[in-house]
Amino acid sequence: MKTPSTGALAASMIGIAVLALIVTGRPGGHAPAPSPAPEGPAPSSVSFAGFTLTSDAVSLPVDDRQFPDGPHADVINANCTSCHSASMALTQPTLSAEQWKATVTKMKEVYKAPVAEQDIPAIVDYLTALSSHQAK
Amino acid sequence: MDKLDTWLATKSSRRRFLGRAALGGAAVAAGPALAQSLVDLHLPGGNAERPITSAFPGKGSMILQRMHPPLLETPMEVFDRDVFTPNDQFFVRWHWADIPTSIDVDSFRLTVRGHVERPLSISLAQLLRLPRVEMAAVNQCSGNSRGLFQPRVPGAQWGHGAMGNAKWLGVRLRDILDYAGVKAGAAQVRFGALDQPVVAGGPDFGKALAIDHARDGEVMVAFGMNGDQLPLLNGFPTRLIVPGWYSTYWVKMLNDIEVLPGPDDEYWMAKAYKIPATPGANVKPGAKDFPTVPINRMIPRSWVTSLGEGQAIAYDRTIPLGGIAMGGDCGVAKVDVSADGGRSWHPAKLGTDHGKYSFRRWDAQVPLAGRGHVRLMSRCWNSAGHAQPMEPIWNPSGFMRGNVETTTIVAS
Repeated sequence: MKTPSTGALAASMIGIAVLALIVTGRPGGHAPAPSPAPEGPAPSSVSFAGFTLTSDAVSLPVDDRQFPDGPHADVINANCTSCHSASMALTQPTLSAEQWKATVTKMKEVYKAPVAEQDIPAIVDYLTALSSHQAK
Repeated sequence: MDKLDTWLATKSSRRRFLGRAALGGAAVAAGPALAQSLVDLHLPGGNAERPITSAFPGKGSMILQRMHPPLLETPMEVFDRDVFTPNDQFFVRWHWADIPTSIDVDSFRLTVRGHVERPLSISLAQLLRLPRVEMAAVNQCSGNSRGLFQPRVPGAQWGHGAMGNAKWLGVRLRDILDYAGVKAGAAQVRFGALDQPVVAGGPDFGKALAIDHARDGEVMVAFGMNGDQLPLLNGFPTRLIVPGWYSTYWVKMLNDIEVLPGPDDEYWMAKAYKIPATPGANVKPGAKDFPTVPINRMIPRSWVTSLGEGQAIAYDRTIPLGGIAMGGDCGVAKVDVSADGGRSWHPAKLGTDHGKYSFRRWDAQVPLAGRGHVRLMSRCWNSAGHAQPMEPIWNPSGFMRGNVETTTIVAS
């Protein structure tokens, strides 16, 4: 961590005065234009000594991609995509049935995914088949 | 909060502001949405293509690893433009999908509680009045470059872009803890955030640091990133900065600081983000039963950024080569480069030193032995004398890759 010299301090105080003008004018900086601003008053902000924090509201893109068709695709779509995108599984390297079973079990036991015990073999079969297909 | 305000007033009178140097180089203008464009991460074994997306708020062109919850990777060419990573192309990684999509700066509070004399509820207006510090530091995911592990391991299949370097502006965690008054016998400090599990009973994300680490004067609560407030997806309004340590500790949307009288035994410290307790976190591929410790300090790394994998260039007797390096938990001492797969090495010239936790630019002029495939390498030594190993490590979680990387180009 840097410790400022007296000269740097003086320079930075001037800098901060300038910065106050800049920051006031451009909250959000060079970020691309977000989704259309909601109607209503300007977002609230707090400022002190040249730095401003402005309330933020965003909308995140919705992922409607499903797992590709195949045996048990309905089971995996029903069980897995509410917590995470299908791409989490679709981007994986080739994994063995044992590795996929370990992953699905971890989702259920550690992350408390509400997956019925009887659905696990179908999910593991689907992922194992998909995984070996993707490697070709 | 009267006492806090009084304390703030005394602190403000002794405010120490650090200079906010203008960032070198212009920030990259975000291009139009390129939903159909793909990037090849060159992961061994294939399945390495990912879409480029501009669909996320506050973000320009990013490599889409996962939309929900977001995993967004920084394209490698961004690191060639500047040692500081623009906020709108800084990588994004969330564990749980329940991420607040709106933050009100008036009602937000950062609580400090647990093994302290004075529990606190700090508003952003108060936080802004605390003494400020600014530091350049690399934020790197524990699993950065996981997709390059061989044999491959499950997890987010990152290339090298789950990292970024920024100038973080904020407040020393030590100052906050000192005002709260840490009680004798405090062992750790746990950090909690606004994001929540999407299923009942799922482990809420939180990480902990030893009390002495939390009070080392470097760990900070940041509200500024490269001169602006943090993008929401990078943790607006406040995130923890743990210089030299992996990103898992850099808790985003930080709203809770809890001082603990003993070690944090919850899932994210006790079970997750554990590495083998072996040199370099390295075990034999397939190994399962070995002692583990929580992942901690980063190690030196470096990358060629001026040329990309598979790129074709015109042959010349020597070519310019550039890239970035990081020392890990200390500074960059030197970088050597090779254009013959590691047989001969040449010193690179180091760029501006922005502090020991920052990326450092390097540039070199290297001879080419001939036309055809050329294997480019860079190797960093940090200021503690540790060099990047030539051989990759392996562990089942795909953490802490740090070996010398190879970029193969074609000269014709």
